[in-house]
Amino acid sequence: MDVPGFVRFLREGNLSAAYERIKEQNCLPAVCGRICSAPCEAACVLMEEESPIGVRALERYAADFGKPRLSRRERVERKGKKVAVVGSGPAGLAASADLARKGYQVTIFEALEKPGGVLRYGIPEFRIPRKVLDGEINDIKALGVNIETNFFIGQTATVADLKEQGYAAILLTTGAGIPQFMDLPGTNFGGVYYGEEFLMRVNLMKVNIFSRNIPNFVIGPKVVVIGSGNTALDCARASVRFGREVKLIFRRTEEDMRVRPQEREYGKEEGIQLEPLVRPVEILADQNNFVSGVKCVRMDYAEAEESDAWELMPVPDSEFIIEADTVIIAIGHKPNSIIKRTTPQLKCDPDETIKVDSDTHMTAIKGVFSAGNVVTNAGPLVEAIASGKSVAEDIHQYLTK
Amino acid sequence: MYEILNKQILAEDVKRLDVSAPNIAKKIQPGQFVSVSPEEGDEHIPLSIVDTDPQKGVISLIFQEVGLTTGKLGTLPINESIFSILGPLGVPSKIDKKGVVVCVATGVGSAQILPICRAYRKAGNKVIGIIGAKTKRSLLLEAQMRLSCNKLLIATNDGTYERRGLATDILKEIVAQQKINFVYAIGSVDMMQAVCVFTKEKKIKTRVYLNPVMVDCMGMCGSCRVKVGGKILLACIEGPEFDGHKVDFQYFNIRMKAFEELDRWDNQKGLSSPKKSESGILTRFLSGILRK
Repeated sequence: MDVPGFVRFLREGNLSAAYERIKEQNCLPAVCGRICSAPCEAACVLMEEESPIGVRALERYAADFGKPRLSRRERVERKGKKVAVVGSGPAGLAASADLARKGYQVTIFEALEKPGGVLRYGIPEFRIPRKVLDGEINDIKALGVNIETNFFIGQTATVADLKEQGYAAILLTTGAGIPQFMDLPGTNFGGVYYGEEFLMRVNLMKVNIFSRNIPNFVIGPKVVVIGSGNTALDCARASVRFGREVKLIFRRTEEDMRVRPQEREYGKEEGIQLEPLVRPVEILADQNNFVSGVKCVRMDYAEAEESDAWELMPVPDSEFIIEADTVIIAIGHKPNSIIKRTTPQLKCDPDETIKVDSDTHMTAIKGVFSAGNVVTNAGPLVEAIASGKSVAEDIHQYLTK
Repeated sequence: MYEILNKQILAEDVKRLDVSAPNIAKKIQPGQFVSVSPEEGDEHIPLSIVDTDPQKGVISLIFQEVGLTTGKLGTLPINESIFSILGPLGVPSKIDKKGVVVCVATGVGSAQILPICRAYRKAGNKVIGIIGAKTKRSLLLEAQMRLSCNKLLIATNDGTYERRGLATDILKEIVAQQKINFVYAIGSVDMMQAVCVFTKEKKIKTRVYLNPVMVDCMGMCGSCRVKVGGKILLACIEGPEFDGHKVDFQYFNIRMKAFEELDRWDNQKGLSSPKKSESGILTRFLSGILRK
């Protein structure tokens, strides 16, 4: 992305030019400006001297205020070839915007009722307002992209069916949506949710600070969230917004959390109690098979026996119980196995990610491409968008050959 | 988009909706289900399909009004549209010639088992249907079941119709009388567990159709996890049909009960209040204007 370019425009005060410059390369500026993990800020040369340039905040500013009232329709030369994009998450949206600009007739297939994927159903409203997301998606629709909802790949139609319908290329960006199950006794008790389920329920109900919707599922007064990633933090911050007492427990130290430090500070300010270096051992339940607490053990760095490296080891005799009425487990995701089952020709790795050619992004089937988290299993938003953009280039190469 | 073409009340709070959904009607096979969300922002609920008409593109849903979302679905009139129907979901059941097949169902399960009975009959099996119901009034689709099974036996808990007893009692009698090759069970957890314990003893292959709570029905939430043969599987993508002898019913029962105890919490008690307060605010506002 041309960061110096748009920052220069911003300095000149030319907001709309800055917006145009960003939009040329990134179709989701307002979303990125809010939730990007900002690798550019960590790599900034000013990092050592003082604070880095807040590229993310600048992008958000340009996207929010530089957007023209009436979006200009871009003129593109139609190539008359149809491309199907399965999944409307960040990778799918980025790829379809690029493909549409190149003149292909793109149709996005989305399983849920509205496009957006993880942006709509995985990330709570307080991080991405739905109005902003709708605006971005409308811009992509204005490029001539068709969006078909309530379409579940493999079930409503298979990859082979799509090929029969005349799609010259098919891009699978189905993401990694299935929770990684935790091997912990007691995960089947009432009041135990996986992070995806919790966020899904919250997002479907459109619960935010302003809405009067009340969650139609149990969130006890004391919530314990297990995990240290963005999903865990989102779950914790969403529970705080219901007025619950939230504890976030994780194995690592606070500095090793896989979130932006800024985000962690926001969580702390909102009143989340962080409990680093704690590993859950068992989930305890009362006589109704409802969660009553989590048995944990403290962890600490200790010298491993074989090597000199310091490793996280449980501290002996440090077991203790945290009282809880709801436990949310958010320790990771993996891709959905349904596409693998319904498309036997597709080659997959044991962890259910789709195998692709590293140069062309093509899967084992000719004309079927894949990108995003379904290939990399887990990664930040920017990576998904970047891989969506590069796969769009690859599809263009394949179709013009 | 998904227009309701016909609506019928079958029994106490059990309703049947005929919905136009050509894409799903073309594809769906016995054993699969759809996920329905009546209005924007509602939960998605898994519902089985009882009847399909691929030519007209119509699917028939049968459901019992038990919760908020099914209640809302039940109030939709003919010619209204359902916000979203996603499907077909789940793995279609493997139907082949087995010989004598017994299909056991209780409650709404007797609607879910109808397409399966038909499919087994079509594959050349002799199908014996057993329906268990609370009373005569809660009995569903009796005529259709009689037409699709070679023989239908009915038991009611209070003895108001046919014979008094449980569905499992009839199964035990039939197994004592003749050779049964296969048993299929849909219904309450207790019934399915009793059937599986019995057939395991008699070494009859059994399949059960589980109805766990689902949120998105695509495997994203992990809410429908069940333990089958020691492994945790998701009923929405690997089921909902499983080998009855491998299902851990104790695990399943705990998961099912987990959502029944919603009333314990105060966030449930307030459920009906937002609407009331909204209308209250509106009337107050309007009366204020009128007074001026």
